[in-house]
Amino acid sequence: MTVPALVLRDVSYRYEDAETDALAGVDLSVAPGEWVGVVGPTNAGKSTLCLAAMGLAPHFFGGRLRGTVTVLGRDSLRVPVPERSADVGLLFQNPFTQLSGARERVDEEIGFGPECHGVAPAEVDERVAEAMRLVGLEEQAGRHPLDLSGGQLQRLALAGLLAMRPRLLLLDEPTSQLDPAGTEAIFDVLAALHARGTTIVLVEHRLELLCEVCPRVVAMAGGRVVADGPPARVFNDEAVVAEVGAPVYTRLAHAAGLPAPWPVRLDDAVAAFRRSRA
Amino acid sequence: MSWINAFRIRLNTLAIVLIPVCVAINWGGHTIASTLKLPLFLDSIGTVLGGLLAGPWVGALSGLISNLISSGTVDPIAAPYSLVSVLIGFAAGIAGYLSWQRQRWGWLALYLLVFLVASVASTPLNLALFQGQTGVPFGDAVFAALVKAGLPTWLAAYCGEAVVDLPDKLVTVGVALLVYQGLPNRFRSLFALYRRPQPA
Amino acid sequence: MARGLSLYAEGESPLHRAHPLTKGVLTLSAIALAFALPSIGWVAGLLAALLALAVVAGVLRRLLAVAVVVLLPITVLLLVVQGLVNPANRTVAIAIGPVALYEEGLAIAALSALRIACLVVATFLLSFTTRPADLAEALVQRGLSPRIGYVIQSALQIIPQTLEAAVRIQDAQRARGLETEGGLPRRARAYLPLLLPLVLSSLVATQERAMALEVRGFGRQVRRISRRVFRDSLAQRLLRWALALSVPAVVGLRLAGWR
Repeated sequence: MTVPALVLRDVSYRYEDAETDALAGVDLSVAPGEWVGVVGPTNAGKSTLCLAAMGLAPHFFGGRLRGTVTVLGRDSLRVPVPERSADVGLLFQNPFTQLSGARERVDEEIGFGPECHGVAPAEVDERVAEAMRLVGLEEQAGRHPLDLSGGQLQRLALAGLLAMRPRLLLLDEPTSQLDPAGTEAIFDVLAALHARGTTIVLVEHRLELLCEVCPRVVAMAGGRVVADGPPARVFNDEAVVAEVGAPVYTRLAHAAGLPAPWPVRLDDAVAAFRRSRA
Repeated sequence: MSWINAFRIRLNTLAIVLIPVCVAINWGGHTIASTLKLPLFLDSIGTVLGGLLAGPWVGALSGLISNLISSGTVDPIAAPYSLVSVLIGFAAGIAGYLSWQRQRWGWLALYLLVFLVASVASTPLNLALFQGQTGVPFGDAVFAALVKAGLPTWLAAYCGEAVVDLPDKLVTVGVALLVYQGLPNRFRSLFALYRRPQPA
Repeated sequence: MARGLSLYAEGESPLHRAHPLTKGVLTLSAIALAFALPSIGWVAGLLAALLALAVVAGVLRRLLAVAVVVLLPITVLLLVVQGLVNPANRTVAIAIGPVALYEEGLAIAALSALRIACLVVATFLLSFTTRPADLAEALVQRGLSPRIGYVIQSALQIIPQTLEAAVRIQDAQRARGLETEGGLPRRARAYLPLLLPLVLSSLVATQERAMALEVRGFGRQVRRISRRVFRDSLAQRLLRWALALSVPAVVGLRLAGWR
């Protein structure tokens, strides 16, 4: 029996000085190699889920955590975040604030993380080269990070995490500040990582993108998990859709009177509309 | 002597990240004053703010590193005066730890403390480097007049420095307190975490 | 190089290639000696030696340019004030109407000015021949906390960014009608509207930056293996010791009566 990558057992979390729980009784299990999408309205607890998986909640934020969060077999309460970062990566929304601020070249910036972990210089170079190849930034190796575009910066931040060879990668709305080209570039990298067996948890509000790539979607609202399964099942559940929304194709098919189950992906939607015309 | 406990915190990542920001605020505060040709240094706003937010070590390091960088890039004379910046940071940090900024009288007390620390600490440096002069025309004029009038050099030196620090530290502390007040509660309490025992 | 802030000038002189700590010890001992040596002749000699090193490093002209900016105002103030009112004044050197500058005060001022000149030149010598990142790295290799090393490197990058942001804020506020010229009260009123946006925007990302650092392992208590290898030598080590020991030696001689 393989150790799950991430397990939350009846987890509730409340930030310092907050009046309500950000997570209220969450149960979730992610197997190694899975690619899980997380969706939900604002304040559903999606970001907090990532923070709890990383350990930033409660190590960084204080607050009160009940239940257990077990990441790669170890209780999150026992593992400080810097130590955890050797196996788990968390990519945030804002490309600029993820820069270390202490390096003047792209390749040195990527090497910052491994250096913090005491990795020997020769191996750092190897990991940096590998990470740059994965995200497609080899040509920018010698440039100053602040000369990069927003999309390139986000790929740089991702490379910085990949240089630590994480087994679990958490991404909290990584493309919300990027243009379509930048978004596509990030998703290409994620697809490559998924093919290599990295476990991915992706919080994403662009449901159409999510449904194209994630075999499994977890829908959250009000700090709880309200649905968990293949996108086709989740986005055909009217109660869930009322809280978290649905991809535009699904809503279109529903509104156009096509029979359930409604498609969640572009190809399926095209096929369904063609059939309906026949 | 509970104020000694202010020095007991271990700097966490948040405090570490705050230090360069406070250094930049020191530089920004000074540069804007220069651009506007104001007759004040205003190079310690970040030091005081850092101390109020995150304690004496953050305040002191912000001041020290500001002086060292300034000394290496524009004004080497700033280096020996790092001592003054460090002490201002300590003072602001202790006051922050004791929550002086939450009381009306605390604002005046912080100003007086910072003024005293700055003027008293700068005077021996002035005596050693500049024969007691302050290095600025206004302060030196006061110094010269007092020496001429018969005051002992050390006393004239202190008065010259005090006359320069009185307005400078008033505006410095005032601005730092205004910024502190204006920050969202959530932000201020982020740093209050350092005072609580770490979770297991 | 920290864009725009560092004075570092590329070069291949012996000073450029020396270990950063050697240069650091040189600067510190020169400063200490400048204030410990007894008379104007000795201090002038020290200054001459420092300027000679600047020639060897190929930075003399640039160094003098920045040094003069710092030293000129202070020297003038010293000469004028000490010449006028130093308690030891007895012999008139220059008289302009009712105002007299005295020899004794001028001599004391000159000595002070020379000592400060040594401080300034020694510091700039270090700045012109050493990359700040290298100095920080050398200190970390010798035991400085890597987190403090990070703080210094981060400050060196963030200062120019902040100053650029200050200019943008100034332009924006001026476009909104803020007056930045005129009498003192008007200029003073412009201070807060220019400073506050700068401070707030600098602080706002602090939490995110801290989280992003932790997520990369910052603060992990492991021994870091340094990438930069600074060439050191027995000669340099001996030189560092000699320089460092010269300071207590001179102080001792002074206490024993050397004047």
